[in-house]
Amino acid sequence: MDLMEYKAKELFESGGVPVQSFVHITARELEEKGDGILIEAARRIGYPAVVKAQVMTGGRGKAGGIRFAENDGELVKCAHDIIGMDIKGHKVRSIMIVGKAEVMREFYLSVMLDRITKCPMIIFSPSGGVDIEETAKSTPENILKTPVMPLSADMKGGVAPYHTSYIAGKISERYPDIPKTFQKELGDILNALYGLFIKNDCMLCEINPLALCKDESAENGMRLIALDGKVSIDDSAVKRQAWLADYASSMPRHPLTKEAELFNFLYIPCDGNGDIAVMSNGSGMLMSCIDMITREHIYVRAVLDLGGGATAERIKEAVRIILSDEDTHFLFINIFGGITRCDEVAGGIKLAYESGRLTKPVIIRFEGTNKAKGLDIISGIPGVAYADGLIEGVAKLKEEAASYEHIDR
Amino acid sequence: MSILIDKNTRLIVQGITGREGTFHTEQMLEYGTHVVAGVTPGKGGMEVLGVPVFNTVREAAEKTGANASVIFVPAAHMMSGALESIDAGIPLVITIAEHVPVHDMMRVYHYARLKNTRVIGPNSFGIISPGKSKAGFMAHRIFMPGSVGLMSRSATNCYETVFMLTNAGIGQSTCVGIGGDMIAGSSFSDILPLFEEDDETKVIVMIGEIGGNEEELAAVLIKKRITKPVIALIAGKNAPKGRSMGHAGAIVSADGTGSADSKIRALSEAGVIIADSTADIVSCVKKQLLSE
Repeated sequence: MDLMEYKAKELFESGGVPVQSFVHITARELEEKGDGILIEAARRIGYPAVVKAQVMTGGRGKAGGIRFAENDGELVKCAHDIIGMDIKGHKVRSIMIVGKAEVMREFYLSVMLDRITKCPMIIFSPSGGVDIEETAKSTPENILKTPVMPLSADMKGGVAPYHTSYIAGKISERYPDIPKTFQKELGDILNALYGLFIKNDCMLCEINPLALCKDESAENGMRLIALDGKVSIDDSAVKRQAWLADYASSMPRHPLTKEAELFNFLYIPCDGNGDIAVMSNGSGMLMSCIDMITREHIYVRAVLDLGGGATAERIKEAVRIILSDEDTHFLFINIFGGITRCDEVAGGIKLAYESGRLTKPVIIRFEGTNKAKGLDIISGIPGVAYADGLIEGVAKLKEEAASYEHIDR
Repeated sequence: MSILIDKNTRLIVQGITGREGTFHTEQMLEYGTHVVAGVTPGKGGMEVLGVPVFNTVREAAEKTGANASVIFVPAAHMMSGALESIDAGIPLVITIAEHVPVHDMMRVYHYARLKNTRVIGPNSFGIISPGKSKAGFMAHRIFMPGSVGLMSRSATNCYETVFMLTNAGIGQSTCVGIGGDMIAGSSFSDILPLFEEDDETKVIVMIGEIGGNEEELAAVLIKKRITKPVIALIAGKNAPKGRSMGHAGAIVSADGTGSADSKIRALSEAGVIIADSTADIVSCVKKQLLSE
């Protein structure tokens, strides 16, 4: 699960990573309380202020989702312009108001879970503020990767002083003008970020840019601040991160994904231009099914993973859910019956038919436990065709597709 | 012969008193697996299906001479269970649960390497050496003893392949569930040398999928030191971008690492036969066995 900037910054603040003070305002709050809450926020933040769209996608700045305001009038206008905007298909439902920082230099700093080394990996780049993937492509020498062994020799795990010292050394080489006190500040931030990463089951804790900003109140007149942040939490650990519960439930999700969850199914929207839906009992099988279908130039709109052991009653619901998308024109069901029994699958389709939910043609292929019983049950249900084997199934699908104009492209 | 488990395997079931643990213990006993002990903290002294239950893995191992453990506890408790088994000196630890937090598995992975323990899984169906022993939850009726060594990140793709192999009269030496998560205790490269050394295994099948670089690492190893024919299927080429399909590990990262194309290229260059469907795996295996 990805966190929006405001949520990432709340987390940073709680863990001792320095951020500017900010105010987060949702569309609903603005509607209910009026422009007063914007003005009130500006009193706390001061001008010039920045209004930033809170969306789960990059490229906000270019899309006009980050704007500057010098006074109340501008602030109100910016806020109303940005809320409700569409940025790459994401509707802006809230904004952050934050002071404008005087940036001297921008770095990149993150801790991510690296599946190659199977360790937390510190990634630092002296060129921050841009997409790290871009830097990796254009100037790979600007990216410094440091894996941290989670069970380290000192038995504590985590960031050691030599990790920080090495990174600080690289910065001094590049920018000799940056004072030495900076090293301690960087070390503190790195430790704080790593601590957050471990404590919160993160896949990624990214500060970009980590900015060296003018600050009269600081020693040397400058300090490091996390100006933007991206945090991603392991989906398998969301449950044990109790602080995430409200945020997680407020995230907009596909209505059919939500409905499928009620029955413990996994519904995944795939190609928005696709016409067929695929249902199966296992993610590996779904993937190989999509591969075979796509090879025939048929596009999969959505898939539903039944998991193991679904009963007829639940399969009826799965059929209803997956066919309730108007733009899904037919359904391909591929079941390998181990724990899931073929007669239960067939029974579910029969129930869906009897309750009037079998609104579109179905091609079904099943194999394994109680196959013969299953075949008996589905024979004679209008609109249901049986395929013996996955290859025959895909061939039937192709015939069906050819008779349907939108598919043949 | 076979790899990892056989008639001499003396298995502990961690979480034996739970619903899943009890059900699959019964299935494993029925198959002929020597389940010698169960472990559930606080339930020591009980018996489940005639199997003695202990409070700790260490005690179970001391009293029964167990040499492998399968963990049937919920994902949230997998880490403590695995660390306990590793500490007790059990050489083979099999973890079944899906949705194990990846930070937990990261610790288990490094601790196991430190202590020289082989961990299989998580999010795995386990291991089966047909006709000898099974440690896991696979529907064992479809398996048959024979000469194909199989390892798979996906359970369903493995079942489908095994079902077709068995129907074609082709048996299996051992089938290993690598698991579908981001961090697997053992990867293809850890299992390949075992199949290479196993007299019974004539052909090796690996069912990989998008995400990570384990297939690429396997390609390097195969080129260097695997002499037996290897047949591979890579699933997920057309999976929606940036979305994991239920397997937490099946996702291509933003920099392109983990794509099906990269895996297929690396494996082809290493001389691996690429199958484009589970049915195709079976035809490739047939061809290899005939040319023996």
